[in-house]
Amino acid sequence: MGRLANEQSLAADRTAFKPVELFDTSQLIAKTAGVVDLPTENLFHRIPLHKQTYIDRGTRMLLIAIREALAQAGRQNMEGIDAIVIGSSAGAMPLGEAYFEHAHQDAGRVPSQLSRAEHYQPQRQMTSVATEFDWRGPIIIVSNACASGANAIGWGADMIRSGRAKRVLAGGYDALARLVFAGFDTLHALAPSGIPRPFDAQRDGLALGEGAGVMLLEAEDVRQSPVLGYVSGYSTATDLHHLTQPDPAGKAAIRTMTAACAQSGITPAQIGYINSHGTGTPFNDAAEAAAIAAWAGDAVAGIPVSSTKSAMGHLLGGAGAVEAVICLMALQGQWLPASLNVREPDPAVRFDLVRHFRRASLDYALTNSFGFGGTNATLVLQRRSA
Amino acid sequence: MNASNIRIRGVGAVSSAGWSAAATHQAVLAGTPLPSSPCARPGDVRSWPCESRFAPASPPEKITRHPRLRRSSAITRYSVAAALEALADAGYDPAAPPPGLGILYIMMNGCVNYTGRFYHEVLENPAQASPLIFPETVFNAPASHVASFLGVDGAVSTLVGSPNSIMEALDTAAYWISSGIVEECLLIAGEECDWLSAEALTYYHPKLIASEGAGALLLSASGNGPRVSEIIGPLAYLSWQERCELLPELAAQTLARLQGPATLINDRTGITKLDHAEAAAWAGQPWTSVLSPKYVLGESMGASTALQLVLGTLTVRQTQQPVVLSIPGANTAAYACVLTP
Repeated sequence: MGRLANEQSLAADRTAFKPVELFDTSQLIAKTAGVVDLPTENLFHRIPLHKQTYIDRGTRMLLIAIREALAQAGRQNMEGIDAIVIGSSAGAMPLGEAYFEHAHQDAGRVPSQLSRAEHYQPQRQMTSVATEFDWRGPIIIVSNACASGANAIGWGADMIRSGRAKRVLAGGYDALARLVFAGFDTLHALAPSGIPRPFDAQRDGLALGEGAGVMLLEAEDVRQSPVLGYVSGYSTATDLHHLTQPDPAGKAAIRTMTAACAQSGITPAQIGYINSHGTGTPFNDAAEAAAIAAWAGDAVAGIPVSSTKSAMGHLLGGAGAVEAVICLMALQGQWLPASLNVREPDPAVRFDLVRHFRRASLDYALTNSFGFGGTNATLVLQRRSA
Repeated sequence: MNASNIRIRGVGAVSSAGWSAAATHQAVLAGTPLPSSPCARPGDVRSWPCESRFAPASPPEKITRHPRLRRSSAITRYSVAAALEALADAGYDPAAPPPGLGILYIMMNGCVNYTGRFYHEVLENPAQASPLIFPETVFNAPASHVASFLGVDGAVSTLVGSPNSIMEALDTAAYWISSGIVEECLLIAGEECDWLSAEALTYYHPKLIASEGAGALLLSASGNGPRVSEIIGPLAYLSWQERCELLPELAAQTLARLQGPATLINDRTGITKLDHAEAAAWAGQPWTSVLSPKYVLGESMGASTALQLVLGTLTVRQTQQPVVLSIPGANTAAYACVLTP
């Protein structure tokens, strides 16, 4: 929980996987995930206690991340923030699951179904967050599967770049949900061992995780907070190959990496670190490795790449946001997080696969996010003093 | 928000009135609520009334064939049909969509049919739940299918939220077009109805009737078509009471920017308890006419504001007068917009 704890964990090459106890996994292949230990105390001070039952686990994580981002920016509140742009793939799915279960078990009118139906809607969850800060403004929820968080940050940066906003709170979140966990399990996308090995030659799947990441984006001309870094490039494109499988050559990823670097005004050789999408599934990692090699050309061998999903799992709608925050932390701290659990790198790996945490000198970091439906997103983060 | 450089070049719709914008327009102009029927509950008899207005069966000429559409559910079929109609309406051959097209998709509930079915399978026996269904439950599946069908490999994004999230999408579409990210943009909003969402609406009010469909608009900086000359809002709120208190301000800001006679297309359902604040806010204006799509078509949730925009576009074309859309939303913010010739 929090930036410091995450940095310490990444520096120690620690993984966060443990048995899932939020729902029954006994009949599933995978039984572990990167589970967040949420604090037990009441997080929402302005929401009546009887309504707090309907605040989703993911929303709680998001509130914690927002509070941390605001505190880091020296803020107590959200005054002057023009918009919230948040990515989520599953939203408040557990509320929808509960609604379904009650409706399915009882043909009569069931108490509290209105609250479940209402709070299943992610915008209603976000209204609870806004209430906590007594903030009123546009709430935009981007849902492009596993690219949602990266798209949300890119969307927010675009709002500022185009002059449509001066300050945007942008990020993403997702919590573990039974339907989603079972869904990945049925696809045989989850590693049976529970250990994801992105870019390992014998990798056998991903591990799910949960979490939230948020950035306060400010236009330079109204900036009040210390600069942690810059969102210097963003691009999104669509891979039409298949609903769930990437184009083997990673053509859409090549386009987003190229366009994001062009917006940043840099070449691939200037990228000091890539936080890959790196799920640990056979298809994704091969396609992404091919895309990075094609995009970077002769520079590929000198570009450090890792997947932090190997440590904390795939955060789905939260992944792109948390991984962008990790890039920002890496730029600030001048270090590289590792791809853990790799025994023998895949032959497709031509980049510098970071297998242990290490110190480095870097000015730009790039993060890839690819989602079901073919959404590809790339963000380029720039160090403050670069 | 500013989308005044944007023209609505083409529109398409699927609704409980039929598989075209024209059928939807005619029904709303007639002003009579379409027939509803009890929404069936699988394997059980419901102990309270729950009505729905589903979209009629697809006419043969609207059936589309594509590998991606073999398993897709109703929301995707509605969205593809609406998108193709919007492209044709703009003068494009739907079989050869223009290059540089982007897609912004808006939904509230999303792919509820497959989501309910898949979760039921998970509860019954997760080891036998269908891996083919799960990907179809993801919110951005319909946008992905439409993109695949049309060959759109650029910017495609899905927003989940209140139906009026389409106004934020409109703002972003204007940016995408003006900055060259896309040449033109399809704005699509869709929803499919199932027994779960129909029942959910009755918890809000027993007389709310669930509906479904899709609306699509082809937006461009060039060409002919109504202009989105004013977007008023968002006026954000945190409660229903705040929403009610804000609506007079929304109306006042809108009317201050309006010159001459205009048509109002509102969000009213025909249920006084839900409508009274909106009705009061816009009362007293000598409108050329007032249309209430939800009263006629039913509550199509995520698709409803898109259908208002489609109807507004057709009305501007027909009357050559401005159209005001009242878009109060349900739980985040209120908007209005003015469409002009």
